[in-house]
Amino acid sequence: MNPAAEKIANAETEMNADAEANVNNKNTKKKKKWTSSDWTLFCMASLSVVFLAIFAYAPLYGLVLAFKKGDGYLNISQAIDRAPFCGFDNFKAFFEDPDFGNIMLNTLGLNILQLLINFPCPIIFAVLTAELISDTFKKTVQTITFFPHFISWAVFGGIFLSLLDFDTGIVNTAFYNLGLISEKKDILGDPNAFWWIIIGTSLLKGMGWGSVIYVAAIAAIPQELYEAAKIDGANRFHKIIYITIPSIAPTITLFFILSVSGILNNGIEHIWVFQNMNNIERSEVLDTYIYKYAFNKDYGMRFSFTTAIGLVKSLVSFVLLLGGNFICKKISGKGIY
Amino acid sequence: MTLQQSVQKSIRKLTDLNGESYPRLKHILAPLLAVAYAGFFVFLYLSMVTIDEGTEALYRSLDAVFYVFCGLLVPAIAATGFWIAVFVLRKKEFRRRFRKSKLNHRIKTFDVILFILMALFCVMCLYPIVYVLAGSFNQGADYTKGGVYFLPRVFTFENYRVVLSDKQMWWSYFVTIGRTVIGSATALVFTAAVAYAMSRPNLKFKPFFYWVNIFTMFFSGGLIPYFLIIKTFGLFDNFLVYIIPSMYSVYNMIVLQSGFKSIDGEIHDAAVVDGAGELRIWWQIYMPLSKPILATIVLWLAVGHWNSYFDTMIYTNSENLQTLQYFLLKAIQTSSMTEGMPPELMERLSAKTISLAAIIISIIPVLCFFPLVRKNFASGIMIGSLKG
Repeated sequence: MNPAAEKIANAETEMNADAEANVNNKNTKKKKKWTSSDWTLFCMASLSVVFLAIFAYAPLYGLVLAFKKGDGYLNISQAIDRAPFCGFDNFKAFFEDPDFGNIMLNTLGLNILQLLINFPCPIIFAVLTAELISDTFKKTVQTITFFPHFISWAVFGGIFLSLLDFDTGIVNTAFYNLGLISEKKDILGDPNAFWWIIIGTSLLKGMGWGSVIYVAAIAAIPQELYEAAKIDGANRFHKIIYITIPSIAPTITLFFILSVSGILNNGIEHIWVFQNMNNIERSEVLDTYIYKYAFNKDYGMRFSFTTAIGLVKSLVSFVLLLGGNFICKKISGKGIY
Repeated sequence: MTLQQSVQKSIRKLTDLNGESYPRLKHILAPLLAVAYAGFFVFLYLSMVTIDEGTEALYRSLDAVFYVFCGLLVPAIAATGFWIAVFVLRKKEFRRRFRKSKLNHRIKTFDVILFILMALFCVMCLYPIVYVLAGSFNQGADYTKGGVYFLPRVFTFENYRVVLSDKQMWWSYFVTIGRTVIGSATALVFTAAVAYAMSRPNLKFKPFFYWVNIFTMFFSGGLIPYFLIIKTFGLFDNFLVYIIPSMYSVYNMIVLQSGFKSIDGEIHDAAVVDGAGELRIWWQIYMPLSKPILATIVLWLAVGHWNSYFDTMIYTNSENLQTLQYFLLKAIQTSSMTEGMPPELMERLSAKTISLAAIIISIIPVLCFFPLVRKNFASGIMIGSLKG
């Protein structure tokens, strides 16, 4: 029996469930028999298939809703069963929506800012912590800066809501007393301040923890490189630029691709805390928009419309991920997978 | 003479760089000194601050405690002096021994600037907690006047009393602990089972399993179709919605799988010769051998479970399933904790300070677990990040 036929026969065995396994084994005695260890491993790996079939692949069927006229039904299952098909109307409605430009501006603007500021900062932080001479101080710095990561956005955001509060917050008063602003401002309700609040808080919360990966990568660099460089007369900055950064470059590219592919995702748990009626102009992003229009009765439960937006989001990040990986493979010969 | 000798001997012992006595001294002295100094400053502060509804007797007893700590301060300062002296001697000894070694790094301006920058960033990370603590111990009506930034102005426990007597809060605490413990445990076992199978070279149809897993990392159906699945399987408004959908994650599987792969295959062969089945090998050999990486994954899972509130917002309706974070969010955004309170109480309290107290109560478990996490994490993350 040639290998190809054997493969097909094997696939057949797999498709018939365990109950029929014995019968199959009798019929195909010539083939390699599966040992009990093979079966155990196969079952263990199949657990993931079962799980993903339900929670990752079954939802793909729900994407049908994006091409149906399912807005305004009582619940999603009714919409998916009864609504008539309408082609690309939902997508058209989204692109022609008066809010479309604004939402895309916020989503992209916030993410590009995050990419420009919040992506390099942990790297710089990791490189700088590696330069600290006292080990005790290094450990203290790491412990303290990790801490905010372990607090939820509800709590961390809540703390900042009170720090930035109009009457009682310290930020407003400090700026006013230092003469940076001429009169007290409602920072939380100011649309122009919203992006900076998001950037600042995610920097404070995520910088320490985000540097972990890079700290690990730096720790893996062989010390001989530094010693050799020292003999060659390199100073600290030479060492950072010519040894540390190139050594952790693969890690940086990997995480860069991952963050680029998430360009339409904003952490909704983060934005939701700070969003209010006054700053909605700059704080409405795709994620919050989808959530509101799908689950809030005041906005009309537009299931199909929001599914269509979700699909656009998934497609864009899929393309960005593949594209990023392709470019990365071309440049460095190594991709994510 | 003998006294002098014994003193000299003990000093020599303490300055011995490899000796045991200095660490022991450190372990005994550090907590004692911390208590003495902290007590002194806390009661110094309390004897000066206005206390909400404070009586003359209360003030007098606080003063009395303060005087006790003043008495303790004298030996504390002496002990600190002794410690510093020993420390300086040890430093000298260290310098003498490693004079020409590269361990003696010359401190440059760059180091100083770096130190200051790092210290500033640490202060920025810690200050919000100080601010919340100050606000949570301050009387509500006084707080709304503004200006409470470092220490409470009118000290009170009233906010904590309100928070701790809130039944809803305790229940959501319970729900969150339940979901964190059950959710992390099931997710760990489930993910590890798959990861073990994927790490074995003799797994049949490996490419099929690999691509089924990888594809889900690249493409997802989005929120609405996912919600539909949750509803179809009866998970909506059900405690299991916290457990089952987060039972498996491809990313964690890949990290765990590379951890299992790094274990020597000969151990597996030996176990097979001894007659162990795959399940037994997985559970009794591979799992215990990859403890650091398992600890890392548990940490990620537990933090995720403890902190998430969006799933409560979407997938549940009833108040019984509220998690702590969602409860806090509501308390912060809509002042839900002060609803239905008698107006005479509301004159002194404020929703702001009460939610600050709730925040403190909610981060206490994190504070307790944090040192543990810090220890485990060092070994675990390194492996996880390097291989993953």
